[in-house]
Formats: sequence, structure tokens, C-alpha cells
Amino acid sequence: MADKLRLLIVDDEVKFLDSIAKRLEMRGLDVTKATNGKDAVEIARQQKFDLALLDLKMPGMDGSQVLKILKAEHKFIEIIILTGHGSMESAVECTKLGAYGYLPKPYEFDALLDILKEAYEKRMMQKFESDQTRLQKIMEIAQGGSALGVLRSLKELDDDER
Amino acid sequence: MAEEKIKHSPDTGSTILRDSYYRELIKRNFLRLALTYLAPLIILIVYFHFQYREFHEHSRHTHLQAIAEYQANTLDLFLRERIVNLRNLIDDPQFQAPPSKPAMQHYLERLQKSSDTFVDVGFFDSTGIQRGYAGHLDYLEDQDYSEESWFIDLKDDKSDFIITDIYLGFRQKPHFTIGINRIIEGQYIVLRATLDPEKFYEYIISHEKTKEVKISIVNQEGYYQIVTAHEGTPSGDSSIIPPRNQKIGIDKVVLGNNKIEYAYAWLLTADWAVIVEWVEQGIPLPVFGTQFGLTAFSFAIILLLLAIIIIRTKKIVEFQIERETTKAQFEHAAKLASVGELSAGVAHEINNPLAVISTEVGLIKDMMDPELGGSYELDDIVPHLISIDEEVFRCRDITRKLMSFVRKTEIKLMPHSVNVLIDEITDAFWKQEIAVSNIEIEKNYQDNIPEIVTDANQMKQIFLNILTNAFDAITPPGKVTITTSSDHEGHISIAFSDTGKGITPQEMDQIFMPFFTTKEVGKGTGLGLSVSYSIVRSLGGKITVESILGKGSVFTVVLPVR
Repeated sequence: MADKLRLLIVDDEVKFLDSIAKRLEMRGLDVTKATNGKDAVEIARQQKFDLALLDLKMPGMDGSQVLKILKAEHKFIEIIILTGHGSMESAVECTKLGAYGYLPKPYEFDALLDILKEAYEKRMMQKFESDQTRLQKIMEIAQGGSALGVLRSLKELDDDER
Repeated sequence: MAEEKIKHSPDTGSTILRDSYYRELIKRNFLRLALTYLAPLIILIVYFHFQYREFHEHSRHTHLQAIAEYQANTLDLFLRERIVNLRNLIDDPQFQAPPSKPAMQHYLERLQKSSDTFVDVGFFDSTGIQRGYAGHLDYLEDQDYSEESWFIDLKDDKSDFIITDIYLGFRQKPHFTIGINRIIEGQYIVLRATLDPEKFYEYIISHEKTKEVKISIVNQEGYYQIVTAHEGTPSGDSSIIPPRNQKIGIDKVVLGNNKIEYAYAWLLTADWAVIVEWVEQGIPLPVFGTQFGLTAFSFAIILLLLAIIIIRTKKIVEFQIERETTKAQFEHAAKLASVGELSAGVAHEINNPLAVISTEVGLIKDMMDPELGGSYELDDIVPHLISIDEEVFRCRDITRKLMSFVRKTEIKLMPHSVNVLIDEITDAFWKQEIAVSNIEIEKNYQDNIPEIVTDANQMKQIFLNILTNAFDAITPPGKVTITTSSDHEGHISIAFSDTGKGITPQEMDQIFMPFFTTKEVGKGTGLGLSVSYSIVRSLGGKITVESILGKGSVFTVVLPVR
């Protein structure tokens, strides 16, 4: 279970949400669905996700707001925008806000799988790199002989994953 | 097939319509120009014509009167001379009453030396018996004149002379006489001379000023005294009795079908009036101006103006039609432009169902893919097929609505409720856009709002333009309030109130100008409001704007219920 890619899909189009979730689950992803921005932010606070797939135009909280909040609250999460309101401007804006990718609807499923894979790899790499630097720090602290310092650093490392 | 026919018929119909419209335009413009340019000219010409007629008539009258007065003065002078001739005889110190026969003869010779109009001369005693006579009618001697009116009148009159009307008297030949009385040595005596009217007439005719008038002399009763040969006989009835209250004047008399206009002048010496008439009575007064030239000139100017007006009318109509065509083209272009904006907005509406379809198709493929380990029954697939079907129809609805808007349809005037029209835009057409925009729409509809006769598409275009602007002005979250109402003066108003950024005074000045836009490049054409404005104006309504910067704006469309 731990190896599964944890994905949060947010879209107000329920039919679309159901069918894409099913397709991705068939490919071994751990998919969680949310039909609006507020729910999505709440769910992300409860569970950990590697990636999120976001629609932009939604009733209530807008996709770009959700993007901002998720990026702020979760260090390693990568976010891909999947929207029918595709435009150059919104793509640039979302990229600035830290979105990993931007896919206009209707999309090609393979392209989606590719971008999910790339984003996941990036997320894992960053996590790995971050862990490495931390580990190095721990090693340094350990060499200094501070057992308490090591314990504190390990706790920080664990917190980072959120 | 039936549809094909219907499609073709409006073409022929519209050319007939265009022709009659063209004719109507020509007629209207021609009348307008003619009224503007010709009417004042014609009024001026008619005014001058009447002024001229009056002036002309006045000068004719003055002319006639002058002749009459001159002739009267001349006659008075002549008659006074004759009276003086007689006075000279009677006042001669050597005059003896009664005069002897040779003395009478001598007197006659003296008179005739003064004027050859004298025919004879007689002497009367107080009893009215002619005691002395010289002339060619000797039998008149010793005749009793005491009962003759002239003798009685002379006796009663204050003045010392009398001039009789022309009469036949004892001699049965037209003549008139001048009598003079005196009292010499207690004796009342009268000296009387007869004058020949024919000679008298010659005297007048020699003074006749022009050949265009005829001159006659009538007495108080209107009987001819002196008359030209071709006009009645002396002592004949002239039917002209000039008024006695004025010495000189102009009068009219109707003889049969002829209205005769004449000038008269009363003599001072005798109860005679000089009558002057035009030789050709009833010459019609000129219609326009005196001469043919003036009439022709006026006519030529009117013709010239008419030609100019016709040319101008054609030009104006061509210009109007061109302008209307351009306007129609502009409106259509603007409509297409706003459709362009609209379709950009609607594109994502289609993208969403397309995404659903492609995902559903992918899912069905996955289900049938053995590699993905699916062992699905056909029944499991059916809901996804139904879903695809639904999404296809969702797309079709969107395109259909879009097409109904884009189509260059003839304007169809039908009664519509604005409430329904707005609902069609907000609920059917724009529902998704509104749902995801975080902008609330509040509707304050008047329930029984009167229907207006209008074209639904044009109305929707106006409302859509205003709503689009309202949405663009709002940074979500916000609210658009649509209020419909009607007043007692036959107007309905639709107010769109937004909580947007408002309009600056500078923007307000240009808000209805074509191509004015505050939106980003590529987002707005600047045609929406200008087109809405022109449509509303063409429907006899108006659009008003109120705005508070930073608080929002209210656009109110007021339309007449017709």
C-alpha cells in the first residue's frame, strides 16, 4: 500500500470525476475524490497525497486558490491542472503559483499518465534529496555526539513529509 | 423542400420591400426638401404678386382720378370763361335793358369771338319773356320762359349764374345754356347764351390725354351730357351715378356681366361729373408680376430649385440607404464579434462534456482490456454509454443555442416577456458560467410585467452584452441584481446592478462609443454597448448608466411597451 501513488482529484463534474478515478485506480493509483475546493483542502489536511489533479473553475473555492493553499500547506505535493477553461494566461498564472503541469480538457489519457509519472518522479526525487541533506545533517550531529540533537532532527524529517 | 422554398422567397420579397422602401424614402425626402426650399419662395412670390396687384390697382386708380380731375378743372375753367364772357356783356356800362336788336346781334358777335361754342344769346325780363334774341332761331323771340326750370332756379339761386343740363327745350336739339341775372335800375333781367354740346365735346376731346381712356360727362341723375360719338347719345342714360359726397373718387358699377370701374370728378360750376373709364374694361390684372418676363423668371427659378431638389433627394436617399446598409453591416459585424467573445466563453462549456466523453470511452476500453485484468459484464458498460450519450446532447444543446444566436435571421417581432428572455440567458445558456464564477445572480422580477413586442435575439444580445460587462467588472465573489419593472406611462425598465469596480467619469463619457473598451486586448471588441445602445434607440428606448467607483454600476434599459 505504501508504494501506491496517492492522488487527489478535484472536479465539480461528478461523472468525469468518477470515470477518471476508476481508470486511474485500474492502473494502481490510490485515488481520492473531491467535488469542490473546500473539501479538497480539508481532505488534504487529513491524508497525505503525492499529487493532486485540479480543475480551475469550480463553485465556491476556485482551483487556483486551492493550488495556493495546497502548495503552502504541503511541501512536496505536486499539482497538475486539468481544466476546460484552458487559456495561456491561466496556464502561466498556475505555473507561477507552482503547478507542475497544465492539461486542457479534453485531454489525452496517456499524456495525463505521463505527466503524473513525471510529477511523481519529481516529487520522489525532491523528497529523496531533501531526505539526503537531512540525513547528512543528522550524521554531522551524530558525529558531534549529541543524541538529543539526532532525535530532534529525525522528528523534523518525519514532519517534513506532510 | 418546403424549407428551400421558404428560404428563397424572402429574397424576392425583400427586393420588392427595398424598392418600396426606396420610393418611400424618395417621397419623404423630396417633400421635406420641397417644403424647406420651395414653400418659402412660393409664399414670397404670391405675397409679392398680391402686393404688386394692389400697387398696380392703386396706380391705375390714381391715374384715372388724375385724368378726371384734370378734365374737370379744364371744363370748370372753360365754363368760367364763358360765364365771364356773359358778365362782361351785362356789366358793360353801355348795356341797356332791353337791348335793341342790333345790340343783341353785336353781343352775339362779341361772344362768338371769344368762343365758337356760343350759338345764340337772349335777353329776358323779370316775367321770363325773351325780349331780345340774336341767333339763327328767330322764332324763339317773345317766348315765355317763366315756367322753365332753369329760369326759376336762377331766380332762386344765390349765385348770379346757372348752367343747365343738356336738354332739348323749344328748339328740340340738344343744347345747354348759361344764364346770368342782374338787377339793373330795379329791373330783374337775365342774359342767357346757348352753347353747342358738339363743339364743347370737340373742346374736350382735344384735351383727352390718352387713347386708353374714354371720357364722358354725366349729370346728377347719370344722364350723359357730353359724350364721345361711339358711346351713347347725349342725354342718354349712362347708368353711372357717381357718388355726390366726394369731389373726386373711384367707383364701380355693374352693367350686365361687366363690372365697370371709373374715376369721377365733379365740376364746381355745373352739376356735372367727368367720368373716366378704361377703353378696355376688365383687362385682367397680371398673374405674376407685370410682364411675362417676371412670371417666366419666377417660374424658371422654381424649376431650377425643383431640379436641384430632385438631385439632392436622390443623393440623400442614396446616402441614407448606404448609411443604413453600413449600419446593418456594422451591427451584424458587432454581433459576430460579440459572438466571438461569447464562443470563447462557451468553448469550455463544450470542453467539459468532451472530457467526460473521452474519459468514459477510455474507461470502457480499459474495462475490455484483459491486461488490466477486467472481467466486466456488458451491463457494467451500459451506464457509461448512457453517460456518453448525455454528454453528446449536452454539446449539441450548447452549439444549437450558439447557432440560434449567430444566425443572421430576419428580425421577428413578437410579444415577449423580458423576464423570460433574461431567464433564457442566465438559466439555459449561461448556467455553467454563472455556477463556477462565484457571482450570485439575484432576480427581482415584476410578476405581471407587460410583454413588449420585440425581436427576441436582439433583446438577448443587449442583455447578454450588459451581463457580460457586469461579470467582467466583478472580482469574485460578487453579485448581479436584475430588476424588472413597469410604470404607468407605458415603459418597462430592466436594471442590471453589479458589485463591480465601477466606471470612471472619463470612461463614462465614452462608454457607448464603438470600439471603446476597458478590457484586455483580445478580450473585448468595444462593440457590445454601442450596438446595444443603437438597438435600444431603434426600439424607441434608452440605456442609462449610474456608477460609483469601487462600488458598482447600474445599467438600466428602458423600453416602450407598444
